[in-house]
Parts: sequence; structure tokens; C-alpha cells
Amino acid sequence: MTSAQRQWLPVPVFAAILIVWESGVRHSGQLTLYPSPAGVAAAALRTLGDGSLLAATSGSLYRVLLGFVIGALLGIPLGLLMALWQPVNRAMSPIIDSLRSIAPIAWIPMALLWLGIRGNAALFIVAYAAFFPFVLNTVEAVRQIDRKLINAASALGAGRMLILRSVIMPGAFPIILTGARISLAFAWGSIIAAELAMGIKVTAGGSAAVGLGQLMVSTLYIRRDVNGLVLYMIVIGLISWLIDALMRRLQRTLTPWRQQ
Amino acid sequence: MNAKIEGRGLGKTYISTRTGERVQALNNVSFTIAPNEFVSIVGPSGCGKSTLLSLVAGFSAPTTGEILVDGVAVSAPDPRRGVMFQDYALFPWRTVMGNVEFGPMARGVGAGERRASAQRYIEMVGLAGFESRFPHELSGGMRQRCALARLLANEPQVWLMDEPLAAVDLQTRNILQDELLRLWGDDAVAASRRAVMFVTHGIDEAVYLSDRVIVLGRRPGQIKEVVTIDLPRPRRALRNSAAAGRYVDHIWNLIRDEAAQAIVEETH
Repeated sequence: MTSAQRQWLPVPVFAAILIVWESGVRHSGQLTLYPSPAGVAAAALRTLGDGSLLAATSGSLYRVLLGFVIGALLGIPLGLLMALWQPVNRAMSPIIDSLRSIAPIAWIPMALLWLGIRGNAALFIVAYAAFFPFVLNTVEAVRQIDRKLINAASALGAGRMLILRSVIMPGAFPIILTGARISLAFAWGSIIAAELAMGIKVTAGGSAAVGLGQLMVSTLYIRRDVNGLVLYMIVIGLISWLIDALMRRLQRTLTPWRQQ
Repeated sequence: MNAKIEGRGLGKTYISTRTGERVQALNNVSFTIAPNEFVSIVGPSGCGKSTLLSLVAGFSAPTTGEILVDGVAVSAPDPRRGVMFQDYALFPWRTVMGNVEFGPMARGVGAGERRASAQRYIEMVGLAGFESRFPHELSGGMRQRCALARLLANEPQVWLMDEPLAAVDLQTRNILQDELLRLWGDDAVAASRRAVMFVTHGIDEAVYLSDRVIVLGRRPGQIKEVVTIDLPRPRRALRNSAAAGRYVDHIWNLIRDEAAQAIVEETH
């Protein structure tokens, strides 16, 4: 087998799986219980056509990005303070360590209680999920900076502010970006869970921003559309993959000196 | 003699981060370096020669004794004392130009002026055309030159060099030694030269470059002998001379036993 043939091998295998899957579902006669490839394709056409898929996806993405930015704005400065100032580190690190072992989705009931179901609760969960990778990676990033670079800068005449700005910040930046990638993945994972938990009431009320999680809840309980559920799962996976690919690309362009 | 740098009774004790033991790196080291003098520090591994340099740079404070530069006690790093590090310590996120102009920028020199002077030093070390390269895009020898240009751009009166040629191959090292001597003023009048403290493993390198060689012993690091290298400058023709060879032999005989012992101890 040539390498080109090997590369295309998954295509016929995937096609065969689709055919077996489709015919299996048709023979079972349980079209409302088992999703089928044709059904998923039809659901994709329908939700793309009426705009509901795009609206829900952008609703979720919007909240993820907002939460991600909030997590960064709180997490990076706190991480810097902890790494550069021992008393802050001693005071904060036990608190950070105990809080981060509580999974973001465990906060959903409290968030619902405090912030309601109109999307702020989901935003809180996402910001919470994004916050910890930012703190931890910023602390680690500053610790890993080569002491010699700081010595070199001070021997060249740099004061504390210049060292912070032109050695510590750029030195920490690559690892903070790695933290950002993890944060975004966490945030995307939690938004779906948060929206699933709070979705049904929002949709029943017919108001508020709807996300993919909420759309899944209504698809499950109101439309009873298994094909739609599978479609949203695929979309969620695709977006995870896209986010990661984008972040890797961003890492390469923003930190060219890291390409060894 | 009117010393540029003077070390008085220097001792340094630190707690090893690996074993937690107290290590005496230096004990009662006193020396002077004159304003236009090239002085090398040699000694076996673990003799504290890099520690001595970092004390003079002001990166850490001596446990005992003091360092005077122009008669003033050293308490912190100062741009008037330029440092070149063993693995260059170039800023990886700055280009060659960005590295070389860092010192003038830190001292508040305006953008246009510092660009122009950085460009001059980049050309002086032979890096013209590589201004916008990042350090990881340069060879070892070119990184070394970039580090040298960065040091020169601040026009320091003192050059502190910590094994700056250790990481390049032998032929590159020979070339860079000659370039270093040229930039220092080996073939110019003595008054144009700077005070250099040059830490190295290479005894032949120390003899070839220096006016005097301070030989350190180990455990704890202390001065065994200060050897005056009485060879005329410029030295290019004397690299492999018999006279240079005799100095190398003499210094090697001083540290051979301890160097052999250092090998054994470092395996433990």
C-alpha cells in the first residue's frame, strides 16, 4: 500500500460505517430513539436554514469568550502578584488550591441561586473555569524565567519596572498562552454543562440568550429529536477542535522566538 | 597602583539547594584589577570563579569582605560594569537589534540615537545584516558576538565575562579570542583599554588573553597564585609560542591535582 492509499484508507471505512449505521437504524424501526446519518444531515440543513444553530452557537461562544476574558483579567494579575510577591503567594495559594479542586459545574446550583438563569450564571461558571488555569500558569511561567535574564537586564541598567515589562512579561508570555489554551478548553467544556443545567426554563419562558446547551435541552424534552442532539454533539466537538487549532496557531504567531 | 576593581577579603557561603548543606564557595579572596588591565580567573571546577564574578557584578553580596569599584563599595548591578554570561543570556524575544539597544534604552537614551549606536556595535562585531534575527536563528558564535555587542553598547568601563567562549567550537573560539582582543585594544594604546575580569576553564585562553591570571584553588575557593603574563602585545603571533606554553604548564601544574579530584567528587 502506498502512503497516499494509506492516507485515504479512513474514507471508505467511514463510509461503510455510515451505511451500516443508516440501514441498522431503518431496520430497527425506532427512528425516534436512534439517530441516523441521514437524519443528522436533515437536522443540520433545517437548523442551518432557520438560523437556530448559528444563533445558539454564537450565543455560547459569546459567553465563553466573555468568561475567558474575565478569567484572564482576574487570573493573570493575581498570578503575577503571587509569583513576584511572597506574602501574596503564601496568603493566596492555599485558597486557590482548595477552590480549584471544586469542579466548575459543582457551582451551578449556587450560581443559579445567586445569578438566575438569564445567562449570568453560565457566564460565572465559565469565568470560574477559565480563571484557575490562568492563575496557575502565570505563577509557573514567572517561576520558570531564567534568573540570568533578570541579572542581564539589571546589569544593563534596567530598573524594576523595566524588568517587569521587558523580561518578566515576555518571558512568562508563552506559558501564559498555554494557560489560555487550557482555560478556553475548560470554559467551552463548562458552558455546555452550565447551559444544559439551566436551559429548559429559559426556553420555556421564551426569553434570554440561548446557547447550544439550552438548544440541546429543548431538543431533548420538547422536540424529542435524537438527530438534532447528535448534530449538536458534533458541533460542540468541532468547536473544541477549532478553538484548540486557533490557539496553537496564535501561540506560533505571537511567540516566534519559541520555534526551535 | 590605582585599582579599578578591588576585592578585599571576600568570602561567600551559601546553602546548597540540592543537598541543603552549607557550602563555602570562596574564602578570603583579595585581588585588584587596574583600569586598563585584562585579568583572567582560572581554576578547577567548583573553585568559585563564577561566584567571584557574580559578586563583582553585584548579583549577590559577599558573606565577608567587600568589593570596591573606583573606591566605592558594590551593592547592586550597575551598567558601568558590563556582564557577559556563559550561555549569553540574550533575550530570546528580542532581535539582535533589540538585544543590543536594550542597555541604552534602559539608560534612557532616545530611540534614534540608541539605534544608531547599536548599529555601530553590531557592525563592529560582524553581525551586520542579522539585525532582525532572533537569537535562536543564530549560530553559537553569532550569539556570542551579539552578547558582546550588547555589552559594548553600554560603553562600560569594566567588562565582566563569565566563560563567554565555553560554548563554541575550538576554531570559532580562536577567532573570537582575536576579535575580543582587537575590540579591547590589544594593538592600540593601553589607555583605550577597559578593565576586564575574564572567567575561563581554558588555561591557554587565559594566558593568551591576559595581563595577569588569578589561579584559584577549590574547597573553599582561594587564591593559589597570581601569574603575571609578561608577553608583548599585540599577541597574535604568540598564540603557540614557547613562552606562552611555559605559562600554561606552570598554571596547569598548580591546579592539576585539584582538577583531577574535582572530576571524582562531581560523580558523587
